[in-house]
Amino acid sequence: MDEQDRETLTAKAQDIRITTIRSIGASGGGHIGGSMSIVEVLTILYYRYMQVDSQNPGKSDRDRLVVSKGHAGPTLYSILADLGFFSEDWLQTLNQGGTNLPSHCDKNRTPGIDMSTGSLGQGLSAAVGMALGLRLDQLSSRVFALIGDGESHEGQIWEAAMSASHFKLSNLIAFTDYNKLALDGCVDEVMSLNDITSKWVSFGWHTQRVDGHSFDQLERAIDKALAEPCRPSMIVLDTIKGKGCSFAEGKVESHKMSFTSKEAEKAVSQLTGKEGE
Amino acid sequence: MMDLLRQVHERNLVRWAKDKPEVVVFSGDLTGSTEIRAFRDAYPGRFFSLGMAEQNMMSWAGGMAREGYSPFIHTFAVFLYRRALDQIEMSIAYPNLRVRMFGFLPGITTPGGVSHQAIDDIAVLRGLPNMTILETGDATDVESVLDTAHGIDGPVYVRMIRKEIPRLFPSDQPMELNKVRRIREGTDVTVITSGICTEEAMRAAAALESRGLSVEHLHATTIKPFSDPQVVESCARAKYGVVTLENHNVMGGLGTSVAELMAEHGIGKRLVKLGLFDTYAHGASREYLMKEYHLDALSLVERLEELTEERFGISEEELTAVRVSDFNSEGQLEAL
Repeated sequence: MDEQDRETLTAKAQDIRITTIRSIGASGGGHIGGSMSIVEVLTILYYRYMQVDSQNPGKSDRDRLVVSKGHAGPTLYSILADLGFFSEDWLQTLNQGGTNLPSHCDKNRTPGIDMSTGSLGQGLSAAVGMALGLRLDQLSSRVFALIGDGESHEGQIWEAAMSASHFKLSNLIAFTDYNKLALDGCVDEVMSLNDITSKWVSFGWHTQRVDGHSFDQLERAIDKALAEPCRPSMIVLDTIKGKGCSFAEGKVESHKMSFTSKEAEKAVSQLTGKEGE
Repeated sequence: MMDLLRQVHERNLVRWAKDKPEVVVFSGDLTGSTEIRAFRDAYPGRFFSLGMAEQNMMSWAGGMAREGYSPFIHTFAVFLYRRALDQIEMSIAYPNLRVRMFGFLPGITTPGGVSHQAIDDIAVLRGLPNMTILETGDATDVESVLDTAHGIDGPVYVRMIRKEIPRLFPSDQPMELNKVRRIREGTDVTVITSGICTEEAMRAAAALESRGLSVEHLHATTIKPFSDPQVVESCARAKYGVVTLENHNVMGGLGTSVAELMAEHGIGKRLVKLGLFDTYAHGASREYLMKEYHLDALSLVERLEELTEERFGISEEELTAVRVSDFNSEGQLEAL
């Protein structure tokens, strides 16, 4: 990745992070931790790889994204608004009466959302079904899916893992947001995942593990995954829960936090280095 | 005569799906048991073995329906609505996707015991917004349920019967959505049945009619929605009251649907609900269980005796004999 691309993506990620902190702050709080840890991966997907059309969200040959960890919706909404799927004003309405942006992704309400999620473990299976549908339609579109590390406690994740490799769905690229924290505490204290990378390898997936906040590493991994001819791909992302939001970063409590717009602005100032200006 | 046919769905699905490339069939390691071997062999590109992983299968189906396909899920009913209910709700029902779930082994149609007997599937699934519920009771229902289900722009749950099944209704009279089949007209009592109980009630009704009781017999193939005006009119007309008979818990199934409809229309008639009376069944032959849990023709006669305070003098032997002889003539078939 050249310097300019890296700078462009970094600046975009910063914008998305700020918009997301403000958006969650406007509703008095929410799933800030898991929204912050996926900013880079969603940024590179939407601004470098995914073919989507904000004027025609249901276009049949678009690339799909299923955010199986549905509680991270706010980050995705910031991107969709930036891309013009809906008005940026919507971002101030998160979870409030009449909103089209519930904290968990909802395809019935939000343009650009490919599958309703929120009950953990289901989105990856839906993504596998979509990947098979695309293959039957002989479309070259790709399905991207994002699951959580805590979500990987669900047995259905491993049912999906088994089935995607059984059907050799190389048009499916999934990411695990391995931020090491679940709601109750450290993922490995709640229920140990042991060697998560080996698990995916043994389930027959092309598996990589990279720094989920590094655009260079993300780009290399996604390029390799896209070149994989006959297996689904898993990219395990080492991430930091709450990344970039001062009061949330690395904290167990960041899964879902109450905070005000004022606190959001303080975090934004710290992020932009303009605190006190 | 009343034909008994084998593996109706097995043959019919292949014929029906021929010109419907959007129909894909999912199996949960029960391909032979759910009569989809022939489909698998005829259209291998549209058949998907998803193993014993029902939660994954439900959400997969949601994903494929999102891509414009109509997944026809085949497994035993218990593994659909019990094991994967959250997936049915969140991956299929809420997004209102065109997934068709064929639940086999309804009620006591299996000797497999409690783990395999779907006795509360309707009660559970009728509470789901967007869900349509259909139930089959004969070969014509099994054949025509495909068109009925396919015409619905949302999820459908079908209670399927299999193996050797009777043809009670002419094959050119398909089931219709939210419309009961009137099998017999009468004014003393209205008997509303579904699934395998309909054939029992047909024999009972024929015997009762010969004793002078005027029985209106309705066969329900749509359990949700349930608002056919024919049912309302019939219940309002019934002199002694209404009896429902279903292969399901009496709570939350056909009987409950009828009760709600009667109450909504202010019909102040007695309602007797026959079915599994808030109990799990157990493993035994279908005939044995139908007697034990009062789902059979004789039980219906006995309850009608209580309701009308009359004695009809109908023996079990007579009802069994009817099974063979009553449907022997073409005339009888047409009357059905």
